[in-house]
Amino acid sequence: MTVFHFFNCAILTFGPHAVYYSATPLSEYDTLGTSIKAALVYLGTALVKLVCLATFLNVSENDNFDPSQELLKALIGFIDVAGLYFALTQLTHRNISQNHKFQAIGLGWAFADSVLHRLAPLWVGARGLEFTWDFILQGIEANANLVFSISLAALGSLMWLRKNKPKTLIPIIYACAGIVATMPSITSYLRRSLGWHFPKVVGFELFTSLMMAIISWQLFSACQRPSST
Amino acid sequence: MESSKQGHREVLESMYSVIALIFVLVACVELGDAASAVDVYRLIQYDISGVPLGSRFASLNHHASSMHFSPGADLSRTVLVIPIRELDLSFVKEYISRRQPLGGLLFLLPQIFSFENKEGTGDSDKHHELELHKNSLLELEQSLVHANIPYPVYFAFEDDNVNAILADIKRNDVSGQQATATTGGYKLVVSAAEPKKIASPVITNIQGWLYGSKADGDTNQLPTIAIVASYDTFGAAPALSVGSDSNGSGAVALLEIARLFSILYSNPKTRGRYNLLFGLTSGGPYNYNGTHKWLRGFDQRQRETIDYAICLNSIGSWDNELYVHVSKPPENAYIKQFFEGISSVAEELGVKVGLKHKKINISNSRVAWEHEQFSRHRMTAATLSELSVASGLLERTGGLSDGRHFVNENSVARAVKLVAESLARHIYGYQGKNIEIFADGSSLAINPSYIGSWLNLLSQTPRVAPFLLKNDPFVLALKKELTDHTDEVIMQTEVLEGMFTFYDSTKATLNVYQVASVTFDLLLLLVLGSYLIVLFSFLVIVTRGLDDLISLFRRPSSRKVKTA
Repeated sequence: MTVFHFFNCAILTFGPHAVYYSATPLSEYDTLGTSIKAALVYLGTALVKLVCLATFLNVSENDNFDPSQELLKALIGFIDVAGLYFALTQLTHRNISQNHKFQAIGLGWAFADSVLHRLAPLWVGARGLEFTWDFILQGIEANANLVFSISLAALGSLMWLRKNKPKTLIPIIYACAGIVATMPSITSYLRRSLGWHFPKVVGFELFTSLMMAIISWQLFSACQRPSST
Repeated sequence: MESSKQGHREVLESMYSVIALIFVLVACVELGDAASAVDVYRLIQYDISGVPLGSRFASLNHHASSMHFSPGADLSRTVLVIPIRELDLSFVKEYISRRQPLGGLLFLLPQIFSFENKEGTGDSDKHHELELHKNSLLELEQSLVHANIPYPVYFAFEDDNVNAILADIKRNDVSGQQATATTGGYKLVVSAAEPKKIASPVITNIQGWLYGSKADGDTNQLPTIAIVASYDTFGAAPALSVGSDSNGSGAVALLEIARLFSILYSNPKTRGRYNLLFGLTSGGPYNYNGTHKWLRGFDQRQRETIDYAICLNSIGSWDNELYVHVSKPPENAYIKQFFEGISSVAEELGVKVGLKHKKINISNSRVAWEHEQFSRHRMTAATLSELSVASGLLERTGGLSDGRHFVNENSVARAVKLVAESLARHIYGYQGKNIEIFADGSSLAINPSYIGSWLNLLSQTPRVAPFLLKNDPFVLALKKELTDHTDEVIMQTEVLEGMFTFYDSTKATLNVYQVASVTFDLLLLLVLGSYLIVLFSFLVIVTRGLDDLISLFRRPSSRKVKTA
């Protein structure tokens, strides 16, 4: 019965990625190659982050929130953004529209993130006899992460790929991008300093991801209006 | 071209083997992820003359249930968790005697019975609680030990973790939800190998000689007086059988008497005209098998030089009455002298000593007291004990309830005083004279802290003979102590043969898992399936439009229409 549980949690964690790919026009335009490339870029980014963290961070014994360490972690988190920039701008893609490009890259990014961070704990833990809610919560977190990645990719493409943006919206775009990029620091602050439990943190992530998605969608369509005419 | 293709193929092949290795490793990873792991101790498994007794299985993998199970429930695949505080003895006895199928039994002992418990013994209501549970525990032990139980039986100590789990189990049971594969609950898993017979269990006898000095011009062999005690135990849970009273008290008393007489005998001027033989024997619960093997090795001459033997058995928890048990008629000169000597010392101490005579039946193989073994080998002996009647086979041999709290070092000290004083008066010829040799406050005073510290050690050492290896550190410690107090120490190792066969696996780790039911996972699957479908439809509507969603479902039917 526990392999069954593993199967359930795997569906929850990785299913939405597959569903997103097949439901949206991404499958029609066969953007799988773009997603795979984005996943590989994420892998490279993760390795670079690992090396930087290992070099610059002190390991603290207790679980408290240390502002300087967290600041350092946030700075290293910006390497994520750099990786996304690289994936969006530097890689050569097949001729796909802006619209689908950021979606494919966000999807590949989120899928790689889920596999790297969540597959191993799931395989080792969910197959045991002991039942915990952690893996289901982790799956929900993966869903929220998917939405985050796609929003970040959208904002990223707005920032770097679109040349003519309405002047008033630019600061909003950068602000939203900043918030999404520092989301890991915010969640760790909540978990450690305020002592929120895992379900509460996951709920918060879900809520903010939906808000961010709506905001970036609005921004994207607002920026798209002038050029679509 | 060819070489590069071959190179490619080699790289591919090595990659395949690496991938296969990763798969194998990943499949084998199985971490211990239990909610909690508890140390448990198994009921003993043994045969008497081929008749299997005790718990015959060790590994366990069933759901847990408490005593509040719904009547008529099928318990053949559940483990009953029973705290001793709430023991329903009649129910358990009935269950065992009717040999009803059960997945397993787990008894929870109060923490006070644990010998690793460092709490003091001075708490009076804890003592009262102990007394209450002691009797029910004794009865439970007897019924478990003499029954053939075809499922695993384990003992564990209560602590916060275990109590919380038990409370949870009770709550589940009361709400009517029987724990099975489909309704979740707690699963108890003990992964232990099949218990194997212990091939040649050894019993080790330790004898120490304190040699007396002959009078000038005396050519005869010095007579010997023996002081004997058995040091091993037998109980329901062999890993917990510390037997503080039966017979830790006897062994400690023997050591103290040896210490006192070694002080006397160290000075040639105060050395007596008797040799003293101290015997720590093993195999006590098994009809004093060790004593029998020891005495068998004596030749006629040695037998004749031993005047008599004093056996010590359970002298740790008496108040003011001790008994001298004999099998030879009390008119026997040695016994008469010994009893009179001990009675006069008892009078001085203000305690009573009674004489009990029980004839031995040669045809019956049951040896209830150690002195009976001496009598069978035609030597005079008596046993000093707080028990007034003989115990049955495997009764009062140091079970679960026989812990440190039930022995009193002062009782042991008084018994030591009785034996040592009467012996010394006899050896030095001071009978009837008003002399106290081992007076309090003198250099020969009985040392209660010596007794106390040895009792502490014995109360932390389970001493079931088949599970003590040949050079067990405890046995060696006894040997060393006796060597300090005596002139010569001889160790005799024999194989415990005869009626008894023992099986190993006495200690294990119990993993408690909190499992979710299959219905939960099915429900989860349903919820996830609908979530993914909703997500799919949402995304299709948002990105491609509602018509596309409808057309997804309509396309096959329109095609069918076309082909028709």
